[in-house]
Amino acid sequence: MAEGFRLRVCHRKSGRLRFLSHLEVVRACERAARRAALPYAVSRGFTPRMRMSFGPALPVGTAGEREYYDLTLTRYLPAAEVCASLTAVTAEDLAPLQCGYVTAREPSLAAALTIAMYELSLEGGIPPEELQGSLHGLMGDGTISVEHKGKQKVYDLAEALPKEPEVTSAGDRTLVRLAVKMGEHGSLRPEVLIRSALGRDIRAVVTRTDLLIDDEGVWRRPL
Amino acid sequence: MSDLWERVQPLLARVERPSRYIDREWGAVHRPDAAYRVALMYPDTYEVGMANQALQVLADRLAGLDDVACERVFVPWTDMSAAMRAAGVPLYTLESCLPVAGCQMLGITIPHELTYTNILEALDLAGIPLRAEERSEGDPLVIGGGPSAHNPEPLAPFFDAILIGDGEEAVLEMVAAHRAARERSATRAETLRDLAGIEGVYVPSLYVAGPDGALVASAGTPERITRRVLRDLDAVSSPVCPVVPYADVVHDRATIEVLRGCSRGCRFCQAGMVYRPVRERQADAIVRDAIATLFCTGYEEISLTSLSTADHSQLEEVLRRLFRRFEDADVAISVPSLRVDSFTLSLARLLGGGKRSGLTFAPEAGSQRLRDAINKNVTEDELLETVAAAFGAGWRRLKLYFMVGLPTETDEDVVAIGGLVSRVLAVAREATPPAERGGLRVAVSASTFVPKAHTPFQWEGQLPAGEVRRRQSLLRDAMPRRGVELSWHDAETSFLEAVLARGDRSLADAIEAAWRAGAVFDAWSERFELSRWTAAFESTGIDAGARAHDPFAEDETLPWSHIDSGLARSFLLAERHRAYEGIITEDCTFGDCTGCGVCPALSADVVVAGGGRRG
Repeated sequence: MAEGFRLRVCHRKSGRLRFLSHLEVVRACERAARRAALPYAVSRGFTPRMRMSFGPALPVGTAGEREYYDLTLTRYLPAAEVCASLTAVTAEDLAPLQCGYVTAREPSLAAALTIAMYELSLEGGIPPEELQGSLHGLMGDGTISVEHKGKQKVYDLAEALPKEPEVTSAGDRTLVRLAVKMGEHGSLRPEVLIRSALGRDIRAVVTRTDLLIDDEGVWRRPL
Repeated sequence: MSDLWERVQPLLARVERPSRYIDREWGAVHRPDAAYRVALMYPDTYEVGMANQALQVLADRLAGLDDVACERVFVPWTDMSAAMRAAGVPLYTLESCLPVAGCQMLGITIPHELTYTNILEALDLAGIPLRAEERSEGDPLVIGGGPSAHNPEPLAPFFDAILIGDGEEAVLEMVAAHRAARERSATRAETLRDLAGIEGVYVPSLYVAGPDGALVASAGTPERITRRVLRDLDAVSSPVCPVVPYADVVHDRATIEVLRGCSRGCRFCQAGMVYRPVRERQADAIVRDAIATLFCTGYEEISLTSLSTADHSQLEEVLRRLFRRFEDADVAISVPSLRVDSFTLSLARLLGGGKRSGLTFAPEAGSQRLRDAINKNVTEDELLETVAAAFGAGWRRLKLYFMVGLPTETDEDVVAIGGLVSRVLAVAREATPPAERGGLRVAVSASTFVPKAHTPFQWEGQLPAGEVRRRQSLLRDAMPRRGVELSWHDAETSFLEAVLARGDRSLADAIEAAWRAGAVFDAWSERFELSRWTAAFESTGIDAGARAHDPFAEDETLPWSHIDSGLARSFLLAERHRAYEGIITEDCTFGDCTGCGVCPALSADVVVAGGGRRG
């Protein structure tokens, strides 16, 4: 690991900006770091790049309450100060929430974050009991087969869903909270799970509420 | 007024690239309570339109006005427009998400002919009547401007007014005139009369065809509309905090305009004629604004733009100062629009020192004879020396632009392009270390000559598409295979460009008919279908072939005769005749005045940053 100070930034992706793609978020964060005139480290090589690395990508349309990236700085600045400078030059819907240094030995965000917590807000007045029942039935089957870009992908639900999803109702919307285990070969998308359980298309606002490290069965935040 | 967001949001889950439609970028200015709203539209997608510098400049000017909101509009891609129509959502401005139809003014850039149907698509999506004569008091004033406004006639019935020339000052005058007219409750017709009184503003409804077909001005309006010109670029601040898009747009970088105009005098080039005289910005102003823009936007690249950036008399100084300022930073400085004869060895070394951007030159023709005829004052030796310098300084990729179908072109001229490219390749290889020769590429792009208004070739016709295709295949056969990527413009789209570029007001019906038949995004090859246009021309009685191919007589009244670009007709004619005789004409910023007429007609002068003429 090269020299430098590895700063971890937790930020949101919310409101209208949930429609950004992962690449668009990456570019926006890089530009914010430049606007903040942070002493960021630059990779060596023919085309120097800012040393910034992200956690697991969020799809277009999915919001995130606690998303992460690591940025290497060439000199130490108090984390709160960095957070304040970034906040001043970042759109509110991508605002940083927390900054803190991590050691250089810490595994990368992409490798460390293996649990994603989601909340889905479903339209259409689906009775919570019905959905809870269908999800229970689906988990009883053990696997779910998903078509992605023309390929069939099979998820082992006992592995993919470390907890039983919770379904509640909020006014005319149905809320589902669930934890998804992310593996090396991607992770189950929550809206796909709900669609399979109900056997029909749904309209949902999907939010990834947290990203966690699984420390031998104990889940904790990376900051 | 409540915004449309709640109705827009559900559509976004089902369209490509929703970030086009959501606003909230860094640098977007929101003035929800402004009494006067201007919508500024680029008639193409968000990614294309966000690259347009003119809109950034105008937005920056309007931001200086009290109680005025300036908001962006682009044309939704076909998936989104279908979703909007199905859901009854009208075209909205990005910043406030309010209907465009509720704005007081809609300003539309007219960049080139293949965007004409997009303009109608946008008006229709907005619920604004397509034709100025059908609009009522509550509709926004629809104002055009930009490069293709120099022949405004084919679009004239769709616009309330069209600005000819630089917009920095005129846009403020137009807004002020409209606000004053509203203040005294003037009618739409009265307001348009007021606008017609502003220098450079053309109100098409005040000009009607006389008995001989030529347009006649109504009483109290000027016979000809004189182009607006900003005499000193440094007198107006340039935008240093433009909107920074999230999406990967066409030129995703910061830009600084370093000079306007180009008087090299290429005889086919409309921009080189209608943006005269050359006006350079001072080095201090350029460096100051470049640094400020990079800090305000966070961009990783800044581009020094103009029609011919290497012509700037202080370019090397500017680059030295910028490179020193951004030493060791991951910031690239790029210089597009280089000319072969002003790309010096020291410039090559300077630019080679930064993050290396692509290199593009436009020899335009393969033989010296034809380059002389079009007044492209570049020799083959200069080109080869420049290529050697560039590849010696580390470049490995080069793009060359040529044109097919230029006046006086023969088969030998076309074949000569292949020979020239072979020699360029040989020189490039020679200047490249053997181990790196594998990555060496020359991209050759051949467009088709389209005769343009206000140029010495404005009287010329375009070659028929069949003949263009024959010459394109000659070119393909003459081109070396290894290390060359050859591409050319489709002859059918170039044909449509010629019909529209040379057209008069009668073309408007055809444009509308083509749009009604589904023509939109004609500049996107996957969307373009000539058959829609052929049918539109037939149904409106336009002989499109004749419109594209038949030359105009020199004593004929041209469709743009009422637009005074400042160029003397006698100069354009003399230049046309010099083309046939193969006589070149020098650039007046280096040599003597060529008598083009622009400076006296527009009370302007060449501005060279270092002071005095170059040369």
